[in-house]
Order: sequence, then C-alpha cells, then structure tokens
Amino acid sequence: MKRKGFRFYFKIYCKILAQDLKSKMSYRADFIISTIGMIFTNISGFVSFWILFRNFPQIKGWDYYEMLFLYGFSLISITPVQCFFDNNWSLRQYVYSGDFIKYCFRPINLFFYYQSEVFDVKGLGQLAFGIGTLVYAWIKIGLGFTPLMLLKITVFLLTASLIMIALQNAAAATCFWIQNSFYVLDLAYRFRDYAKYPITIFSPVFRFVFTFVMPIAFIAYYPSLVVLRPDTVPVLSWLSPLIGIAFFYVSYRIWMFGAMKYSGTGS
Amino acid sequence: MRTKKYLTLTRAGILEALQFRLSFLVMVIGNLLYLIVVYYLWKAIYASAGTEVVNGMTFTDTLIYLVLATALFNFMEMYTVWEIGRNIQSGKIVLDLLKPMDYRKYLFWSYSGSFVTQFFLTFLPTFIAVSVVTHGAVPLRMNLLYFVISVVMAVSINYSIDFIVGTICLYTESIWGINIMKQVIVLLLSGATIPLAFFPETLKTVMYYLPFQSIYNAPLSILLNGNPQPRTVLVTLGTQFAWCIAMFVLSKLFWKVSLRQITVNGG
Amino acid sequence: MSAIIEIKNITKEFKVLNRREGLKGSLKDLFSRDYKIVRAVDNISMTIEQGEIVGYLGPNGAGKSTTIKMMTGVLEPTSGEILVDGNIPYQNRTKNAQKIGVVFGQRSQLWWALPLVESFKLLRDIYQIPGKDYEEMLALYRSLVDIEPLLHKPVRQMSLGQRTLSDILAAFLHNPKIVFLDEPTIGLDVSMKAKIRTLIHALNQEKHTTVILTTHDMGDVDALCRRIVIIDKGKMLYDNDIEHLKRFFGSYRTLKIRVAGDLSEQADKIQKEVPECSVSADEEWISVLVDEDKAGVMEVLGKLQKTHRIRDMQLEEISTEEVIKKIYEEGVK
Repeated sequence: MKRKGFRFYFKIYCKILAQDLKSKMSYRADFIISTIGMIFTNISGFVSFWILFRNFPQIKGWDYYEMLFLYGFSLISITPVQCFFDNNWSLRQYVYSGDFIKYCFRPINLFFYYQSEVFDVKGLGQLAFGIGTLVYAWIKIGLGFTPLMLLKITVFLLTASLIMIALQNAAAATCFWIQNSFYVLDLAYRFRDYAKYPITIFSPVFRFVFTFVMPIAFIAYYPSLVVLRPDTVPVLSWLSPLIGIAFFYVSYRIWMFGAMKYSGTGS
Repeated sequence: MRTKKYLTLTRAGILEALQFRLSFLVMVIGNLLYLIVVYYLWKAIYASAGTEVVNGMTFTDTLIYLVLATALFNFMEMYTVWEIGRNIQSGKIVLDLLKPMDYRKYLFWSYSGSFVTQFFLTFLPTFIAVSVVTHGAVPLRMNLLYFVISVVMAVSINYSIDFIVGTICLYTESIWGINIMKQVIVLLLSGATIPLAFFPETLKTVMYYLPFQSIYNAPLSILLNGNPQPRTVLVTLGTQFAWCIAMFVLSKLFWKVSLRQITVNGG
Repeated sequence: MSAIIEIKNITKEFKVLNRREGLKGSLKDLFSRDYKIVRAVDNISMTIEQGEIVGYLGPNGAGKSTTIKMMTGVLEPTSGEILVDGNIPYQNRTKNAQKIGVVFGQRSQLWWALPLVESFKLLRDIYQIPGKDYEEMLALYRSLVDIEPLLHKPVRQMSLGQRTLSDILAAFLHNPKIVFLDEPTIGLDVSMKAKIRTLIHALNQEKHTTVILTTHDMGDVDALCRRIVIIDKGKMLYDNDIEHLKRFFGSYRTLKIRVAGDLSEQADKIQKEVPECSVSADEEWISVLVDEDKAGVMEVLGKLQKTHRIRDMQLEEISTEEVIKKIYEEGVK
C-alpha cells in the first residue's frame, strides 16, 4: 500500500468536494434559498452594526471605520469554518442515529473523511461580504498598501480562522459525550458575533477571559492589530498564528478521541 | 377530558427537557457570556455618547431591555421550523397527521412542556436577578399584569409566524435557509437585538406596521414603563391582539391550503 | 488454508448509565448519576480461516456487533487479543480498513445523493485501487448481476433491495480479505434474498474472500455457511459445523396452530395431551415444538385434531431463537 501523504488527501478532497457540489446541484431550490438566507444574515448583521454605531464618532478610541475593519476581518476569518467544517453541524445526528459508524471503516483519516464530505458554498457569499467590508474600511482609514501588508493580512486571517475552526470542532465533539450537544455548538457559533468588538471595551477581568480562557479575541482583534495599529502591536498579536495552530491541533485530538471512544457504544 | 390529553404532552415535554442537564448549564453560560458582551458594549457606547440618555433610554433601561429580550428569546424559541421541516423530510409528518388532534395544536402542546421549564429555569430567575441587581429599576405595578397578557400574545404570534414559515417547508426542501431567514428578520425587526428606540425614524415607522415588533418590543416596553397612559397600554395590547388573530387565521389557512395541495399531489 | 482472524479470550465491558423512572427520577438524574458495568463480550476465542463463510448468530444484544466492531478496529477490547491478517486492528485502524469491507445493516455507506458509479469512483480513489483491478472487478460484477440500471441511479432513489445489493458490491470493490455482513437480507422479499445470497456465494468463491455473516435468518445460514458461531449474553455457546447442529436439531419442527378460545389456556391443555413436545403461546399462535425422532408431526397433529378445532396451521423449521433455547436446556453433544 502506498503512503498516504498530503497529495493523496488533497486529491481525495477535491474529488469528494466535486461530488458534493454535484449532489448539491440536485437540490437546487435548497441551494438558492440557503444562499439567500446567508445573504440575509450578513445584511442584518451589517444593518445592526450600522444602527448601533452611526450615532457615535468613536467608541473607546475606535472610530467607525476601524470598527468596520474589525467587522470585516471577523467575517473573513469565520468563512473557512463555514465552508470546510460545516459537517460538524450534522455530527450530532450521525452519532445519535448510529450512522456515524460508517465513517469508521475507511482506510483514511476519520476526521478528514468526515469533514471532507460537505463543502458549504454559501460561505463564499460571506467571504465576499467580508472582503468588501475590509477593503472599504481599509481605504477609508487610509492604511496604504504594500505587498508585505497583503502577506501579513493573509497569514493572520488564515491563522485567525483556525481559532474559530478549533472552537467549533471541540464544540461539535461534545456530542460524543453528552446528549443534545446542539446547545454547545450553538454557543460556539455565537462566539463569532462577539469576535468583532475591540477587546478594550471590556474590563480587565474579561479581557483576560476572552484572551486566555475563551480565546475569542484571537478571531479578529489581536491579528488585525498587526495591520490596523502597526506601531503598537502587542506580543499576543504576533503569537496569534501559533495559538491558532495549537488550538486547532488540540481540537483535532479531542474530536478524534471522542470519535474512537464513541463508535463502540452506539450500535 | 380534552385538557388531560394536552397536559400529558406537557408532562412528556418536561421529562424530556430534564434529561439534558448539561444543556441547561451550557445555555446559562452562553447567556451569561452574551450578557457580558452586551453589558460592556453598551457601557462603551454610553460612555462615548457623553450623555445619560440616548434616544430616550438610560443605560439601565437599555440593559434591562436587552437582558429580558434574551430571556424572552430563550423562552419563546422552540425551533418549530426545524421540527416541522424535519418531520416533513423524514415523512414522520404523516404519522402526526393521523393523530386525533389538529397538527398545529399538537405541535404547540408538545412544546408547552418546554415553555413551562424554560419559563421557570431561565425567564423567572433572570427577571428576579435583574430586579435585584438594578435595585427595583423594573417597576412592579399593574404593568406586570399587562406584561403577562402581552407575553401570552407574543408567544402566540411567534408560534403562528413559525408555523407559517414551517409550512413553507412543504414546498421547498430548504429548512436551514428558510429558518435562518425567518430568525434574522424576526430578531432584527422585533427589536430583540437592538431596542427599537435606536432605529432611524423611517425604519421605526415601517416596523410599527409589521407584526414582528409585537413579539419583543411590545411586552418589553410595557414592562419598562411604570406609569403608562391607559391609551398607550390599550394601543399596544390592541395592536398585539389584532396581529394575534390575523397571524392565527393566516397560519391556519395557509396550512389548510398547503395540506390540501400535498394530499392531492400525494406528497 | 491459513488463519486470517485469530481471537483469544476477548472481553469487552461498557459503562452504562442507569436512568431512573418518572418525573422524580429525572430530577434525581439531574444531580447524581448511577453507572453499572455491562460485559457485552465475555471471554470469546475463535480462529477463522481465509475463504471461510462463518455465520455469526445470536439474539439481539448478544454482543455480535460489539465483536465485529473489535475485529474492524473501531473498538478496543477490554482484555484479550485479536489479530486480523497479522495486525492488531485497534492499533492500525486505517491499515486494517484497507483489508476489510463492511456492510452494516440498513445503514448505507454510499453517498446518498450520488449515482452508484460515482460512489464507486470515490471508493476507488480512497482505497487506491489500481485501474486494472477496478475494471476487472466491475467486469466480474457485470457477469454476476445486472448492474447497468443501478450504476446511474442515485442511491436515495433505490429500493431497499437495490441499495443492499449496491452496498455489498461496494464492500467487495477493493477486493478485501474479509467482508463483514450484518443482516444483509433484513426486510427483503424472497427473490431479492435469493439474489443476494447467490451474489455473496459467488464473490466468496471467485475471490476467496472470508465472509463473516451476522443474521437472524436461518435461510441465510443454510444457503451460505458451513460453520456457525452462536453467542448469547456475550458468551460463546457454539462454534462448529452447521451439519453437526443440524444433526442435533434437524429432527425438530415447529408446528404452529390457531384454535378457538384463550390461547394460553389452550396451550396448557395441549401440553398435557402431548407431553413429549414443548408448547408455548403468543398473541397469535400456539407453537408446538415437535421432535420427529419421538413422534411425527402428522401424528401430533392427528392427536390434537381429535380434541380441538384447528382453524389454521403452519409448519416451520426451528428458528435461531429456539436453537439457542434448546442449547441452554440441553447443551450440544
């Protein structure tokens, strides 16, 4: 048997993804309505943001466009979890009905195989929204543009997205231990709404909590400082890629541990 | 013994809800987290505004409003659309339709158990906590009675809207898309996420003509107003009552028509 | 012949939550939980040779699927050893998965919305099946069953029989050394059952694949297995030739009759009239287990006809459940 390296998994992912898209096309009405739903969500998020902050020139030293920058950043960094890890939402049902067992018999990585099965196209609409907002805020703030900045923002966006992915993996994995884990997943999902505010609005205690206990601040706040406030970047911002990777790895181990523990009991 | 038949459903719902002790814990944590974010966010907003009163509401008013809106949301959100949608997809709806009860009623009473548990486990503690923490900022006079009446009607309107949206699932396969659209619209336009007072004038006018504000804005504004003009109370409750009837009739009719279509076409 | 599966004294224990009853019980469960240890598989040993078809029988909850999960590497035994083709399945789950194929009851492992051929292509890539082998396998399938109409049909539009057939084909696609079939004929009509049995038999012959078959249907066992293993309550009851078991139980038939009056009362009466048989009753039928070495079925029927008005009757082969009951009562020589 050949070794299964990155290329093997990449090839398999593309194939499964292509098939998934094909089968999505066979439910066209659902696809269109879901996309509209996603656009609605983004518009409503934007409207809420606008209603809240249009009256105030600045909030705790953050002006309207800087807030908008954070908002756009958070939208982009929660896109990968939406696109690539959406099957986490169905995990609960697979586990509950016992159908999860079918994923255990294939000669490839269980986590990979499970997540590869669904690619959520609607996330792309959110990505477009996020990029639009970010670019608009970028221009309005007058940040300027260099290739280095592009590289920075790309790297930090990618690693920031790992935090949200990690939170969701861990939340989804709770279904291996508890019933009705929907609430846990829903809680993690709500984190994305909190990610878009500058952490300075909180009291020191909660600044600590949102940095080290529930690392929501790493989804948008810390990584975006690297571009937004280049003169005063805290150490935590530079650390955020490492933290993203570490969290992702830990969440992966939790997920796999739960899967192996569970698969025996349900028949 | 018609009531007994329904009360059995209530009891079963309570039993089911109690099975999930962890989900309660998670829900409490989730709400706490949300409230913390809301608290600091509005504190920052009020601090930046430089005045005590913004759009006719003090910081305390806004906070009480939002806290109780969350509590109301937890109490009223029963994921009806999901339930109907899933029952349609799995075909279980056929069995439910065979039961010797009207489906609309059957579903409502199945949820009533959750209503009862949620009321005692989330809404009441929140309400008491808010009253104690704010040292009686919530007036406790006749408005309590109006509030209760108002909430009952809000529950009914909310359920009717959910049922209408759920009925749409008979036509399309998209549960997620339809549900998210409904949720986003209801939460934003009912004033559940941002108090209506903060909306721009034109938007506000539009919203007063829609049924959604009767779900959150109406009961909460009645509750927070310690000395209401009899006219205000009458108008608010009257509007709610009108929507209550209108949505009830609409949801019943829509269901009847849709069902006929389904039975004719053989599902 | 060489051993493909070796199992030595495996045991599997689970921790199970004791739920209390009623409203009060649920409230108590909210605060304190009470667990008990259940031994699902208790000290089982067996060796299976390459190319065998083994019938793995037992009532529901006997520990069949737990054993299979341990052989497929999904579960780790609490104690004991398993070797599947020289590997410890739990430690090398993916390596083991390459060598086995699984059909688990009515849970299709195929991609629901895709036509069968697309599922096959994905499996080809996942299992890294060389192009030549894949084509050969498809050619073999074509010679055995009429798969053309199935290939381009989405799995969700298939009938249960077609789906089961497709699942079995998918499980054999990468030419595994062992295939586990859990209740492959459940819920199917007689002709589909026959079709599936023929297919399994042909694939076993052609590819020399070891097949472990779990079933409640003695017809499956009769048609396919030479050896059967019976477990109940986690313990091994029987592991031997089917001929051996048949010699022992072959003379038994179940005579089912329906008579007027209360069935359980009548059953007691009948028991007294034919003391050499064991009589039981359910809501519909009175079952009389007849040992033909002692008295023929016709003889018993004749006797009963004199005293009862028999409205309806059926004659059945002994069922797995009755075999197990008998083994408990008398043991196997």
